Parts: sequence; structure tokens; C-alpha cells
Amino acid sequence: MGTQVHEIAFTSSHINGMNVHILQTEKFKTTTIVTMIEQELSVETVTKTALLAMVMKRATARFKETKRLREYLDFLYGAIFDVDVTKKGERQILQIYMEVPNEKYLAQASTLLEEAIQFVGDMLTRPCVENGAFLPKYVTQEKETLRKRIESLIDDKMKYANQRVTEEMCKDEPFALLVQGRAEDLPGITGEDLYRHFQEITTSNPINLFVVGDVDEQQVKKAIETHIPLQRNAVKELKATSPVKNVEQERTVVDRLDVSQAKLNIGCRTNIAYKDDDYPALLVYNGILGGFPHSKLFVNVREKASLAYYAVSRLESHKGIMMIMSGIEAKKYDQAVEIIKAQMDLMRQGKITEEELSQTRATLTNQFRELLDSARMMIEYTYNGVVSGRQRPLNELLQAFETVTIDEIKRVADKVQIDMIYLLRDKKGEA
Amino acid sequence: MQTTVFEQVKETVYHETLANGLKVFLVPKQGFSKTYAVFTTRYGSIDSHFRTRSGEEINVPDGIAHFLEHKMFEKKDRDVMHEFSKNGASCNAFTSFNRTAYLFSCTDKLDQNLNLLLDYVQEPYFTDASVEKEKGIIGQEITMYDDNPDWKVYMNLLKAMYQKYPINIEIAGTIETISHITKEYLYQCYETFYHPANMLLLVVGSFDPEAVMKLIQKNQGGKDFPPAPQITRIFPEEPPAPAQHRVEANLAVGLPKCMIGIKEKENGLTAEALLKRDLTTKLLLDIVFGSSSSAYEKLYDSGLITENFDFDYSCEQDYAYSIFGGDTPDPDQLVETIKTIIEEWKQKGIDQDDFERAKRKKIGNFMRGLNSVEFIANQFTQFKFNGNDLFSVVPVLESITREDVEKRMREHFQLDQMAVSIVRSAAQQE
Repeated sequence: MGTQVHEIAFTSSHINGMNVHILQTEKFKTTTIVTMIEQELSVETVTKTALLAMVMKRATARFKETKRLREYLDFLYGAIFDVDVTKKGERQILQIYMEVPNEKYLAQASTLLEEAIQFVGDMLTRPCVENGAFLPKYVTQEKETLRKRIESLIDDKMKYANQRVTEEMCKDEPFALLVQGRAEDLPGITGEDLYRHFQEITTSNPINLFVVGDVDEQQVKKAIETHIPLQRNAVKELKATSPVKNVEQERTVVDRLDVSQAKLNIGCRTNIAYKDDDYPALLVYNGILGGFPHSKLFVNVREKASLAYYAVSRLESHKGIMMIMSGIEAKKYDQAVEIIKAQMDLMRQGKITEEELSQTRATLTNQFRELLDSARMMIEYTYNGVVSGRQRPLNELLQAFETVTIDEIKRVADKVQIDMIYLLRDKKGEA
Repeated sequence: MQTTVFEQVKETVYHETLANGLKVFLVPKQGFSKTYAVFTTRYGSIDSHFRTRSGEEINVPDGIAHFLEHKMFEKKDRDVMHEFSKNGASCNAFTSFNRTAYLFSCTDKLDQNLNLLLDYVQEPYFTDASVEKEKGIIGQEITMYDDNPDWKVYMNLLKAMYQKYPINIEIAGTIETISHITKEYLYQCYETFYHPANMLLLVVGSFDPEAVMKLIQKNQGGKDFPPAPQITRIFPEEPPAPAQHRVEANLAVGLPKCMIGIKEKENGLTAEALLKRDLTTKLLLDIVFGSSSSAYEKLYDSGLITENFDFDYSCEQDYAYSIFGGDTPDPDQLVETIKTIIEEWKQKGIDQDDFERAKRKKIGNFMRGLNSVEFIANQFTQFKFNGNDLFSVVPVLESITREDVEKRMREHFQLDQMAVSIVRSAAQQE
């Protein structure tokens, strides 16, 4: 600690209407290329975008059959390729992920990087389209796959509980939406709609393209310029979002399902977002409360009361939501809620030991320094800066962990409000 | 200290067996921020029937290896997790069928963290009260697994494939079996399986190998251990045939889950022969079921599988099996179609192009794995325990021929060795 880390220093430029960020490093044996298209999360487009991601990866103009497309990826030494959607606050990000081995480690593959960039260009500029529509065969199949994916949310009870509490808690906010969209929208979407949507977002929405690996910057730029010739309009301004929400009354929701373990989720509004000055203090607050095995929740819910195997708190930094999660016996609900609330009270009163603070500083610092060993995580970190409108140099954040005071943590604690207590439990016990 | 250089992947391994029998391996990774250390004993959930130090033959309750792993973190005067937190390290542990691993990752204070890891794993402290308290926590862990349909369908498949061999029992045991665990049992298991001679320490990441080896030597040199016990594990004889061809269970799921397993008839391979069988079978599965295969296309287009269709091969000296499956609206139809696909492949044989493509893909994926200290840390020890080197994967892969895969296909793809496990919601019951 105290020592400076190597800053995550992408070189940024503007190519074909995209923001291109390149990080040259000898650390990795592969090159990672990630394209992010940013949109407002909204009822009108959420399902379309999720479906588009799935249809896009089935075919391109060059590889009209999925089998051929996948054979080509295998041929690129098992290139990792995916198109997916993720949620960052009230933004839905369509992400094209590509990773290929670095040519230096292979006997005969000197054009692998260029082929990978060309493939990304196929996705963005040369889709498989006939008569102004994505092929009906793929649209129909992927609707079915997406419907199954939405229905299978229930398989993972932790994720399911998380989505349910989010839905209830943020009922009239876009954040309530599942990033994969809504099954009821699927029948109404056509191949034409999808292609129009594709054109709309590739011409007008913010696009950021990241490249990490042992690459030559000029060579990468030239390949992007040649192989990804996007026709771009003026970039659309997306609606600003705010984490502020005053909770008038704490609410409770209970769902029943055929389960053995009950999932207790407590959704809180922190009223602080990634770009806010209080954000580093919020990270420390969350760390002391429930981020680590030394945190108050783990120690009191698990180690002392023996109520649970896991008891944690997690931040959604762009929306400013903190989720407390624990798996308990349903009949221990009252005891668990009481212990959790007591820990939050201690935070408000500033009852934080020197040890809790120093452990949290050390573990948070470690967590952020570990980012540097993963191309994907360095991209993610930098992109959080893009989406929030505030780049946070890593050293500045690490410094903030060192200097944060108990008073600042108390100030954060005062802003955190419980919005909803949610329980997913079995069908047997009494309500 | 000895050095082994793996030219092709540009990795160097420093290694030494210490006087007390502990095997130490160091893999420095230039330019990385973090270091990952894993201290592993060759002791897992299957080792529940053995002879103790005094020669007595005992059966211990199911789930005890995992229970012991939990209890290693508690000490008389300190809490191990808090100690790691103070040093900014993130620590963890896991128990599998045949090993228990204790690990941490850190970007600072490697010396303190390494000493802490070695010390806490070599200093058991169990009391009646703390054993009782842990039963509540592990009870919730077991309940969590009970609700997990992916775990359920997998465990049920192992139960269907194996009649006697103890990979058919839950790693964490059940609430009933762990209720019988006492501190006396824990000490017996500890004394039998946690001798340094039964363990391996691996450190991967950013450090100076000379200095780290010295630190480990000093730590171990300062402790007294009794002579290494002769470990006698007692395993039942496993008949070649599966226990059952089909098992079903109910849990709340969106779509039914169906997993198909093929149990290997002949086992007993070690070292490179074992690795070659492992890699050859993985190539085979990728050729037949991979996302660019005609089978995948057929299954996906007909709606019988979703994007979570997956397959894998597990291969140890005493047991080996392949599994494939995922979510499906129609488990029976999926099983029938897969049987047909397998028969068709046996008819037509392995194509050279498919074979080459699968091999390239496997090499690329392996290279990608080497970017991650976690990947190396997790794989390396298992390879060593089986007498292999992780970094030799590429040359062994390169030595495999189309004919090897063809031969493997005929040995392995035997429909009478097949078992099926299905999990669906009560409402989806036919």
C-alpha cells in the first residue's frame, strides 16, 4: 500500500465515429477486443436489443450459416466470441466480445489480429440481412432461445430473488427491467424491426471500442479504419440518470416457491453514484458492512449467529443501489433482519473499529489492484468512467481509500436507506 | 531448487521437495500485479474409509473433508480470515472429490500471507463448541446446494453412474451425516491426510522465486512433524456398469435439465497416458458436440437444446466419465437424438478437417488460460497429483492424431455405459 500502481492508461482516439481505446501490454498471451454500444434502458427497446444481440451472433454477410461462422472462429485458434447485453444503471449495453491468441505464441498465424478486427467489422457493418430484415430463420429461433433464457432465471434462486426485489423496489423506474427483456414483447418483434434497430444504434448511439494486448497501436488503428467502416450520424445524447430517491416508507414483499432455503434480500438506496465525490467513501462503507469475510454482516449473521452460509452486501454503482443478500432458514427471518439492521445502525453511529477500517482499506486496495491482471476488467473499469462521465484514475481511488475518515463514512451511512425487504421462501411455513 | 523451462509457452517452473516431504512449485509471471498461492492436500470427499496412523480401519461421516476445511479457519486466539484481510489478501478454500485446497491472492505483503497460509493449515484447533456452531453454517450451505438444479442434476448423474465408488456421495455430506461429526473425527482425518508429504504448495504470480523458496524453507524448517504416515485409503471395487440408467428429481426450474453421462469401463491410467486419454476424449467431445458441429446445429435448430448445452470429460486414475447436456424442453427426445448422433459418428468416423479445427481451438483456449493466474493455480496442482505438467498440454495435444481420436471414440462411446439424469418442476412432470 501507499505505492503507486501502474495506471490503466488506454490511448484514445476517434475512428469512423467510434471512440477507440487501445492498451498495449505484454502481460497477456491473447488480444481482447470489446465493442460497447450504449443505450437508454427502456421498455420500448430492452427486448429488441437483447434479441438483436442473439441474432447478430448467428450469421454475417460473409458467413450466412451459423455452422460456417463457428468453424471460422475455431479456425482462428478458438477465438472467444460473444454478443451480449449488460445493465449499467439505467443503460443497456450491447457488447461484442472477441479474444484471439497473440500471433507471437503461434507458429503460423501472422494475420490473426487483423482477421479478428475484420470479424468485429462484419458484426457491426456487414450483417446477414435480406430485404431489409435479419433472416426469419434466425429471428424465430433466437426468440425461442431468449424466451427460454428469461424463463430460466428461476433456476438460480439467488439471481431470481435479486431480480424480483429489483422489480418490486423500482417498479416505475427503467431499472426494474431484466436486461434480457420481457417474454411478452417477443411475438411482436420482426426481422425488419430488428434491422431498423440495428441501424439506429450503430449509426447514432455512443460506441466505444477497446483493444488490449501486445499490439502495435498504429496497425490496430489502421485495421479498424479499414475493416469497420461505420457510417455515423451525430452521436445521440442519452438522458441523464440520477441515483437520488427518497424512500418514504420501507416496504416488504414475500414470494413463495418450491425451495428449501429462503433468500433474504434487502434493497437499499445509497443516493450516491459512480461519478459522485462520495463514491470512494461508499465503497469503503459497503466493504465494512458486507463486502468481505471480515465485514459486519459476515461476522454477525454467519460467524456469531450461525444463521447463514453467506451474508453480503453488493453495490450497483450507476443506479446507486446496495443489495444485502443472505440465504437463511425462513423461520429465522426476524432474527436475521434484526441483526442486519443493527449492523446498519452501527454504521450510522460510526461504530467502526480501527481494525475494520484498516482491513477494508487493505482488501479494497487489493481488489482494485487485481484489475490490472485482467484485460476484461481493465476495460470494464475504464468503461465505467465513460458511462458515468467521470474517469477515476486508479491511483486517485486507492489514495481515497487511505484518506477516507469515519465521519465521511457516517455521512454516507446517513444517505443509505432501506427501500425494500424481500423474502423468497418455501410454500410450507406460515406467513 | 530445480528449474524446468517450458519453451513453447514461455513459462518457467521452480520446484523442490522439502525435507518434510512437502512439494513446492513456483511459477513467476512477469508484469502481473497479483500472486496466488494454493496449499493443497490430497484428501477429498471420497477419502472416507481409511486406516488411521495407528493402523485402525475407520469409516468417517460423509462430508467430513469439507467440514474440516471450514474448521481450519478458526483458531484459539485469532480469526484467519481477519488476518488475511489485514494484509489485504483475499482468502478462500474448497473441497473436491479428491483434494482440499487453501488459497489466497494478494497484491502486497506476500511474505506475511505465505507464512499465514502455511501456519494456519498446519495448526489444527477444534473444539466441541465450534464444531457444533459450524453445523448451522454448513447446514445452510447444504440447503443452498439442495436448491441448485445444476448441482442436483450433476450429482444425481454421478449417483446413477457409480454403484459403489464414493464420488456418488455429496461433497458437503447431508445435514444428517454432518450431525455425527465430532472434533475427534476431525483430528483423526487431519493427522492422516495433512502431513506435508501428502501436500503440495504452489505459488503463481509476481515474485522473486529464490526469496520465496527461502521463506517457505524457513517456515517449514521451523516446525516438527512426525514421520510421514503410510496412507491407506480403502475403496470399494466399482463394477463397470452404471448403477441406474435413468434418475429424475423435481425442483423449481424454467425448463427441464437433462444430463447424459458415459462411464468409462477401464481405468488405472497414470501420468502421460492419463493426460493423453483426457485430451483425446476432450477433442472427441468437441468434434462431436462442439458449437461448430453438425450435431450442435441439428439439436439447436430443432429447439432440443439451448445455448447452455455443454459437455466435459473428467478423468482420474480410478474413475472417468464424460457428461453432456443442458436445458431442454424434451429430455427423452434429447437422449434419443444424442444416441443416434453417437451411432452415426461411429459409422462415419472422424473427419480430418474437424479434427484439425478442434485441435487448433484447444491450443488457443489453453493459451488464453495462461493469461490468468487463477487458471494456472487451479489446474496446476491437479495435473501434478496425476503425475503431469500443466505446461505440457500443448506438446501432448500436438502428438494426438486423428486415429487416436477415432480409436477413443470406439472405446468410449458405448451406449450401455450411459446414464441419464433429469431435473424438472413438479408441474413439468409427465
